[in-house]
Amino acid sequence: MSLTSFQSWGLVIGLAIGTFLIRYSFIGLFADRDMPAWLDRAFKLMVPAIFAAIVFSGVAMVSGEVAGPIYWPRYAAAMAALMAALWTRGHMLITLGVGMATLHGLPWLVR
Amino acid sequence: MHFSTALKSPPARGAFLCGVGDTLLIIPSYLPFGLVCGVASVNAGLTTSASLALPAVVFGGSSQAVLLQFVQGNASLWIAVLSGCVINLRMAVYSAAMAAHVRHLGKPQRMLAAAFLVDNTFALIQARQASHPHDAHLMAYYAGSSMVCWFFWVLFCGVGVLAGNIVPGSWQLDFAIPLSFIAVAAPSIRTLPMAAAALGGGLASIVFFALPLKLGLIAACLAGLMAGLLAQKWTSRQES
Repeated sequence: MSLTSFQSWGLVIGLAIGTFLIRYSFIGLFADRDMPAWLDRAFKLMVPAIFAAIVFSGVAMVSGEVAGPIYWPRYAAAMAALMAALWTRGHMLITLGVGMATLHGLPWLVR
Repeated sequence: MHFSTALKSPPARGAFLCGVGDTLLIIPSYLPFGLVCGVASVNAGLTTSASLALPAVVFGGSSQAVLLQFVQGNASLWIAVLSGCVINLRMAVYSAAMAAHVRHLGKPQRMLAAAFLVDNTFALIQARQASHPHDAHLMAYYAGSSMVCWFFWVLFCGVGVLAGNIVPGSWQLDFAIPLSFIAVAAPSIRTLPMAAAALGGGLASIVFFALPLKLGLIAACLAGLMAGLLAQKWTSRQES
């Protein structure tokens, strides 16, 4: 299936405009005044919730299924990265290095 | 180049370069996903020029992927665009957190800052704010981070469009994406309600993973909020 140029650009521009409106939404509303305290508190809890959702689903889901025991290096790597992140207060290079080294190195070591 | 006038002082330039450097570290993890998104836009039948423009003007991988999935499934184009937008609803949360950071900027710069708001640029600015509280040059850091992120995202998707998928899956490069969020999120969780929100959101993201339109992410956000509010209620009762 192939789309016309008009359809293709319609999709691209449509999604770009929609996404920009979402991105600008609360900046537009609250850049010049303070947010109500209850809303601020709610958003402060939603940030760790979303980040954890990205982590949990990124580690434990493989092509739409929960990653079973044969995927143990993924869980080991995530735990190692978590330790590294807490230990170094979130040093990106060390956390990524420890995580990726565990993912690839540990299965090779215990083989 | 955005925020260029604010970049003339050495500390601002330093913050800008920190943003560039920190972001370069996580860039390789987006290579596989960028390639996939590029390949998907060709497969969905978009013209080459529109395929190349898509990552540049939307700048949000999951929404690009969902848009293209719907187009390929012969959904109405309106539904495809709407679904892509649903994926990006989480950015409203980021927008709310950014509002205070852009207070000193004019409207055009606020809009420019909004345009580059995505999971990783937001995560990095959150981490920067935690490690450098009251830094006057937080937005210079953000400018450096978003420029690098945007450039490589467009590049990776473009390579996918023109050359196809060139990275072997066995490298598992994309596993570095959740790892980078561990680096940012783990040290930032300082209170029991925040930990409860993270645990609730994380578990819910697996339970609700199968929901259409990646609505699982929104469900996880709300579940985390509930868990956090419950924990808040519980801790305040302990104190009184």
